Amino acid sequence: MWSLALRTLIADRGKLATAMVGVVFSVVLVNVQGGLFNGLLGKIGLLVNSSDADIWVAHKYVHNIDFPLDIPKRWMYRIRAVPGVALAVPYVIGYGNMTLPSGGFEGVVVVGCDRKSLLGGAWSMDQGSAAEVRQTEGIIVDCFEEAKLEYPALGEVREISGRRARVVAKSRGIVGFMVNPYVFTNLEQAASYLRKPADRCSYFLVKLRPGADAQAVCREINRRIPEVDAFPSAEYARNSIDFWLTRTGLGISFGAATMLGLLVGLIIVAQTLYASVLDRLSEFGAMKAMGASERQIYGMLLAQAITMALAGSLLGLEVVFLIQRTFSTPHAPIVIPWWLSLGSFGLVLAICLVSSVLPYLRIRRLDPAIVLRG
Amino acid sequence: MHTTPTIFAHDVHKSYTTGGTTTPVLEGVELETLPGECVFLVGPSGSGKSTLLSILGCMLTPDRGQVKIVGQDLARLNDIERAVLRRDRIGFVFQRFQLIRGLNALQNACLPLTLRGVAPRPAQRRALELLEAVGLADKAKAHVGKLSTGQCQRVALARALAGDPDLILADEPTASLDAQNGQEVMRLLRHLTSERGKTALVVTHDSRIFAFADRILHLDAGRIAEVDADHPPATAGAVPVASS
Repeated sequence: MWSLALRTLIADRGKLATAMVGVVFSVVLVNVQGGLFNGLLGKIGLLVNSSDADIWVAHKYVHNIDFPLDIPKRWMYRIRAVPGVALAVPYVIGYGNMTLPSGGFEGVVVVGCDRKSLLGGAWSMDQGSAAEVRQTEGIIVDCFEEAKLEYPALGEVREISGRRARVVAKSRGIVGFMVNPYVFTNLEQAASYLRKPADRCSYFLVKLRPGADAQAVCREINRRIPEVDAFPSAEYARNSIDFWLTRTGLGISFGAATMLGLLVGLIIVAQTLYASVLDRLSEFGAMKAMGASERQIYGMLLAQAITMALAGSLLGLEVVFLIQRTFSTPHAPIVIPWWLSLGSFGLVLAICLVSSVLPYLRIRRLDPAIVLRG
Repeated sequence: MHTTPTIFAHDVHKSYTTGGTTTPVLEGVELETLPGECVFLVGPSGSGKSTLLSILGCMLTPDRGQVKIVGQDLARLNDIERAVLRRDRIGFVFQRFQLIRGLNALQNACLPLTLRGVAPRPAQRRALELLEAVGLADKAKAHVGKLSTGQCQRVALARALAGDPDLILADEPTASLDAQNGQEVMRLLRHLTSERGKTALVVTHDSRIFAFADRILHLDAGRIAEVDADHPPATAGAVPVASS
C-alpha cells in the first residue's frame, strides 16, 4: 500500500510540488525564525557564557547583565574567603561615549576585566591578543562593529568619555544584544572611562576550586553578603535571557511569527492534499468498490502525508543550512541546534498528519457506487 | 448435486426519495445466476440497472427482499464484511475503466491482490498471467495514460480477474470502446469467465455484443424479464454503438 501511495503521489507532480512548497516553507520558517531567536538569546548571555567564570556575583537588585549596579570592591575579600572559591575578581560593565573621527560620538559598552587573570576579557581575537588590555589606555574593539566606530585602526587613539583610549587589538564576532559596541579594557581604565569610584565595581567573577559545588558556594556567598546575589554562570545567563523575554514582547513576537508560518504551511498542505483527493475521487471510489478498507485508504493518505513531511523536511533543511551559511552574522546569528531541526520535522510531520484527516473524512463519506453512475 | 447460485436475488425492492417524492426503482426483482454463466442486463436509461448492480456489488442495501452473493446473505453482513466480500469474491469492470493514473498496467492489474495484502511478487506473477491472457503482456510496464481505451479496458478486465473472484460485475464495459475493441473485450470476458467457471453479469446497451450472452435479462419498470438472445427486442434498450 505504501508503494501504491507513493506512486499515486508522484503521479501528480504539480500538486506534489505545491504541497512540498508548503512543507519547505514551514520547515524554513521554523528553523530560521528559531535559529535567529536562539542566536539572539545567545547574544544576551554572550558575556556570561564566554567569561570562563563559574559564578557571577551582582548587586541584589540587578536582573540583567547589561544593567549592573555598583557594589564595593572590598566585598571581594569576603567572597575569596568562602570555601571552594579559587579566584574572585572585580568586573566592570558600563556605558560611555567614544569620539569618532568625523566629530561625532558613538555609545559603547565598556567592559573592564582584571589585569592579571583577564577573567571576563575579550576572546575570539582577530588582531592582537586579549592580554593587550594590560597596556595603559589599551582598548579592544570588535572588527564587526568597525563601521559604527568609523573603522579604528590598530594604534589609533580615541577618547571615551573624555579619556584617552588606544586601540591595541581587535576581536572578531563579539557582538552583544545591545546596539552599542563592546570595548574591552582593564578594570582601572574602565573605571576611569565610566567615571566610577576606584572602590566600586559592577560584578565579581568567581572561579571555583576543582570539585567545588557552585550552588553551595553561591548559597554561602549570599549568606555572608546579603546585599548580593550569586549565581552559577549558566543560571545568570538564563536570568538575563528571561529578563528580556518577559519584560519585552520578544518571545511573543518571534513565537507568533513562527506559529503563523506553521499555520500557512498547514493550510497549504491540507488544501493540496484535499484538492488532490477531490481530483481522484473516482479512483478512491473504485478502490472502495473493489473492497479497499477504511484503514487501507487512510493508510495511503498517511503514507503520502509522511512522505511529504520527510521529503519536504529534508529539502527544507537544505534550504535552511544554505540560508544559515549565507546570512548568519555576529549581528544576526542564526544558531540552529539539532533539537530545533528535529523539532521542526516533528511539527511538520504533525501538520501533515493533521492535514490528511480532512481528505480522509471526504473519502469516508464517498459512496463507492459513484463509479457505477457513469 | 446442488450448485450454490453466484447471485440469488428474491423480491428485491429499492426506491429513492427526492424532495419528499418517493420513486420506486426496483419492484420485486428476481434473479439467479449459476457459475460459468454470462448474463446480460439490459434496459432503458433510468430503469434501475446501476441500482441493481450496486446492490449486487454490496454497495447499496435494498429496502426489501433477499440478496445472496456466493451464498452469503448480504443482510447479515456489516459494512466491513461487505467490503471484504467485494474484495475477495467480486471483480468489477467499470464503464470508465477507473484505472489508477499513477500506476502502470501491471500495478493496476495487481490492485485487488494488493488490497488483500498479497506479497508483491506473487501478485505481480498473477497479474502478468492475466495481462498475457488479455494480450497486454508487452504493455505491463506501460503507464495507463499511454494506453488506448481498448487497452485500458483490457487492463481493467485483467484487474477484475486478478483476485480470482466468483462473480464479475461489468458496467457498460464496451461503452467507451469502438466496435472492434468492444467485441475483443467481450470475447476475452466471455472466454476468461467460461474458462475459469466465473459468473459474469454485464450491464449493457450495446446490441452488437448480445451474442456473447448466455441469457439476456430485460429490466424495466423495476422488474426483470428474460428475453430471447437471438432476437433482442428494441424495447430491451439496445442502442447502436458508434463504430470507428
